[in-house]
Amino acid sequence: MRINPEFIKKFLVKFLKEEIGKFGFKKGVWGLSGGLDSSVVSFLAKEALGEENCLALIMPYKTSDPEAVKDAENLAKKLGIRYKIIDITPMIDAYFKDHPTENKVLIGNKMARERMAILYDYSAREKALVIGTSNKSELLLGYGTIYGDMASAVNPLGDLYKTQVYQLAEFLGVPESIIRRPPSADLWKGQTDEGEIGLTYKEIDTILFYLVDLRIGVEDIEKKGFSVEKILYVKKLIEGSQFKRKLPVIPKLSWRTVGHDFLYPRDWGK
Amino acid sequence: MRVALAQISSYLGDLKRNIEKHREIIESAISKKADIIVFPELSLTGYLLQDLVQEVAINRENFKILDEIKSLSKEISIVAGYVEEKEKGIYYNSASFFHKGEILHTHRKLYLPTFGMFDEKKFFTEGKELKAFETPFGKTGLLICRDFMHISTSYLYYLQNVDFIIAISASPARGATEADHFYVSENWELMGKFVSRFFSTFTIYVGKVGFEDGLGFVGGSFVYDPTGNLLFLAPYLEEVIEFVELDPREVGRARAKGHFRQEELDEIIFLEMERIVKRIENKS
Repeated sequence: MRINPEFIKKFLVKFLKEEIGKFGFKKGVWGLSGGLDSSVVSFLAKEALGEENCLALIMPYKTSDPEAVKDAENLAKKLGIRYKIIDITPMIDAYFKDHPTENKVLIGNKMARERMAILYDYSAREKALVIGTSNKSELLLGYGTIYGDMASAVNPLGDLYKTQVYQLAEFLGVPESIIRRPPSADLWKGQTDEGEIGLTYKEIDTILFYLVDLRIGVEDIEKKGFSVEKILYVKKLIEGSQFKRKLPVIPKLSWRTVGHDFLYPRDWGK
Repeated sequence: MRVALAQISSYLGDLKRNIEKHREIIESAISKKADIIVFPELSLTGYLLQDLVQEVAINRENFKILDEIKSLSKEISIVAGYVEEKEKGIYYNSASFFHKGEILHTHRKLYLPTFGMFDEKKFFTEGKELKAFETPFGKTGLLICRDFMHISTSYLYYLQNVDFIIAISASPARGATEADHFYVSENWELMGKFVSRFFSTFTIYVGKVGFEDGLGFVGGSFVYDPTGNLLFLAPYLEEVIEFVELDPREVGRARAKGHFRQEELDEIIFLEMERIVKRIENKS
């Protein structure tokens, strides 16, 4: 499962340059949280687009870890890329004032979609494509907000497991404080991915790799030292979140239908 | 003999812009005294066409669009890939050998991968023939991408005593490992080395580069000599035009040395093939 980070970096930089460039865009905009994935994306985007064509948006909520926000700002400064800090507390609080809830997931989803809305607003303002920061582990588990952090135009880390993103981060020279911070979706205070999911990324990624990449059955994965409960739990998360990885379903009526057999590549004519 | 390997990306579904791009590259290869220039699979259209296949197909009505390539072939031989609508509504993934202003030969892709990320059979019909043809450089066989992954195709060219196997491809990157290349690149090189050495033929492979919908094409074009020595390997993923010098007389020397072709048992192989294939048919 280990990668060659130097080679993969080169490949992803080319990917960003070409898939953004062929649509006539020079710039990219993304959310920078001070976590691992968005920091790695910042390194890649800087190399692909150049400092002046990068815009990292740091969008904390009042419960966000101030250390992470500081790390995000320091990273943007270190890389010499453009950045903006936009506090989303007023927008989120305004909504929940009239629609109160104790459900942390609802609040978290709203925050993810507020950040998405700001990214797409800046996409249009700056003529910059939105660069996603979701990794393969999150995409497969559905550990993300549909039309929130899962929304983007290009998603360079989408086929790298979290543990592979770590490998890339170390190669790129992502600061230690970012690499060492426990991964968090920053949806509420003290939240960690591993705490919420109940498995470590090492366990998650290994099980995912066996299930998805190698298509090994549950019994054989069990022999590799994982409990059936853990394997079935990961399987259940994948199946239960398939809708997040699909476009809205359309009932087919005609001979050629969007989402069914209107089959054109995204890079049509480019 | 000077071979130009045009390891390029194409504009997806834009025939006119691709012809223009080919023209510029071909003219530059002419000025550099190349005898032949080889482009990747579907070089005139791009690879991930899907429903665009119908819209970029070259047929009896619009075939004059190839006149520019034909005309350039008066000064250099050209291998390029495109969608061919040979009969109305029937589309082939084709590669033509352009020479002295005409199409000398067209190969229609036999093996259309249709699994996982591939869906070629949904859009293309497979060719029916594997014919070697004479060129001023020697007897040649054309292959397109997946064709080359099946040893049967190169074997049939071997039986036709080809001097050159020219394989053009669009191979999407997959298989990231700790190596400094994708796993899939090893398939091409392994087959190139094997085919060249045991079939005593030059193998010229040209792979597409660039991205289409997140698929990154690996490039890594190469030439193996008829003893299986790597004469040249182009960089992975980079758009480059590379020139390789080779001596077609090497084929004769390699055949004399290896002696594989001389001892080949064509007739026995044919009879055994017939027996094996028919037995399978009887069972089913």
